[in-house]
Amino acid sequence: MEDMMNDRIGQLVDYIMKKCLWQFHSRSWDREKQNEGILTKTMQLLCGEPVETGTPTDKCYWVDAVCLADAFKTRYLWLATMDKAEIKLLMQGLKDRMDYLTITGSLNEELNDPHY
Amino acid sequence: MPYHEFKCSKCIPERKKHAVIKGAGEDLTSALPLGYLNTIPGSISERGCAYCGAKHVIGTPMKDVIHMSHGPVGCTYDTWQTKRYISDNDNFQLKYTYATDMKEKHIIFGAEKLLKQNIIEAFKAFPNIKRMTLYQTCASALIGDDINAIAQEVMDEMPDVDIFVCNSPGFGGPSQSGGHHKINIAWINQKVGNVEPKITSDYVINYVGEYNIQGDQEVMVDYFKRMGIQVLSTFTGNGSYDDLRAMHRAHLNVLECARSAEYICNELKVRYGTPRLDIDGFGFEPLSASLRKVGLFFGIEDRAQAIIDEETARWKPELDWYKERLKGKKVCLWPGGSKLWHWAHVIHEEMGVEVVSVYTKFGHQGDMEKGISRCEEGALAIDDPNELEGIEAMEMLKPDIIFTGKRPGEVAKKLRIPYLNAHAYHNGPWKGYEGWVRFARDIYNAIYSPIHQLAFVDISKDEISSDTKFLTQKMISDVNLSEEVTSSSELREYTGKYDSLAKLRGKTYPDLTSPKQSAAV
Ligand code: SF4
Repeated sequence: MEDMMNDRIGQLVDYIMKKCLWQFHSRSWDREKQNEGILTKTMQLLCGEPVETGTPTDKCYWVDAVCLADAFKTRYLWLATMDKAEIKLLMQGLKDRMDYLTITGSLNEELNDPHY
Repeated sequence: MPYHEFKCSKCIPERKKHAVIKGAGEDLTSALPLGYLNTIPGSISERGCAYCGAKHVIGTPMKDVIHMSHGPVGCTYDTWQTKRYISDNDNFQLKYTYATDMKEKHIIFGAEKLLKQNIIEAFKAFPNIKRMTLYQTCASALIGDDINAIAQEVMDEMPDVDIFVCNSPGFGGPSQSGGHHKINIAWINQKVGNVEPKITSDYVINYVGEYNIQGDQEVMVDYFKRMGIQVLSTFTGNGSYDDLRAMHRAHLNVLECARSAEYICNELKVRYGTPRLDIDGFGFEPLSASLRKVGLFFGIEDRAQAIIDEETARWKPELDWYKERLKGKKVCLWPGGSKLWHWAHVIHEEMGVEVVSVYTKFGHQGDMEKGISRCEEGALAIDDPNELEGIEAMEMLKPDIIFTGKRPGEVAKKLRIPYLNAHAYHNGPWKGYEGWVRFARDIYNAIYSPIHQLAFVDISKDEISSDTKFLTQKMISDVNLSEEVTSSSELREYTGKYDSLAKLRGKTYPDLTSPKQSAAV
């Protein structure tokens, strides 16, 4: 079960790393916000929950989330077999992995530069 | 860490951490070279200086401006006209270059007087141009000329002119990238917010990090206008000085080259709350996703979709003609900064080529993160390569083609490997749907050009067989293709015009009010 979950998370990570750019903003704090904003909204879209789009920044996260959720749904048909609780677990695992690859485990020495 | 040590650089041990080969199962936490550091002494870098990065890459594409360097004429000459950032005002910014022509005596006695005289002379020579950018160079920075004070003096005396000063001398950063940073920050500090624009749409963007290489900007702006979007400014290709002073009024910053222009987007977000949306204008799928995202942001995604459908139907059969003939060809993708990630995955997916190596001359580790994630396993990634490493890599990887700048490109030619100019293009524009087909056509022509076949014959020693006939590109490329492909009625070669921009210039666009407004009428 855990293997299957990890495998699925791996597939989603591969998609993001190949096709998206939003995960690679230049500073750690920026990346934290991007990962949190976009992946939370993607999870909400996949679970059919309401999504906040009030501020321009929220709207920007939402735009990337809509494209990501659509791509996930068309490419990974196993998503349709999962219930809400499982999707939330999956997306939490995805967020943890993305945070590791792009922030906590990143070898990019510029991430913690205090200035842009 | 899967570092790759070049034999030619064993005598410079620090170089080892600047190249990696991404192996099976490896990710960014184990495969990432160092980057954006001072070039190691002994390594003959291919980088440009920070002045060049500020002026040549970012400042000079602005079209209605006198771009003047304060320094010896050599700095200016080497940054003049070597990129093809054209403009729709008869390429004013490319036709002329200006330098104060500092000499030894000015180093001793100062060059402020000379600077002032040059500024006034230039404005008098071009009475219709009222805007100027001024660039410091190593020489004027070292003697401490107060360029800002002189610029102010001239502006006080000539109230109709406006001058922007960029203090980014050549030594002010590890590479041209240091200059990108400096000019971004200088522009927002000095100029943004000084002009109030006329807003003509409900959807207003700045198009940032786009330099109109052979018309890229004009292609993209056409899509935006067809969606009813007002492009308030382009930073900076084909961009107007005063439009760029009004950047603070856009609703969204659409960012293309994050390497050269993310700084101004980040600052616009911090200072004015304008969000940043990163896009990819190269390749059918990334471009379609990008247009859709901009459309979604404004609630006009149906307009984006209409463009995507129309353009894809028109150009995809032509792209696929080239893909059939480029499949499996090995590419070294060796640009300056951002194209390694703009292109790495999409030339593989949409043109069928194999990216065997990526490098960046001045990119940061963030660019390598994007590039390495996007290329396949086994690719050699190199930061700030020197010429000998480039040669060793080409001998090791035996690529069919190199996409790079003209200096390493000439080296590749000597090794009889065709190259395409990744910075200035061959027959661009390469952005947009049609542009992507033009790129595929350039790759095809480069790989299969009979001239390259002939170049492998050394007339000083090789026997020239008398039955060797001249072969066209198609005779060479189609030899192993199936009948199904060669006689396909769907696939076809590029059918666009030699000049793909003529149809865009002077084009009129429908006045598209917002869905909200139309509903209210
Ligand atoms: S390094 Fe200095 S002297 Fe050389 S081109 Fe750049 S600004 Fe001019």
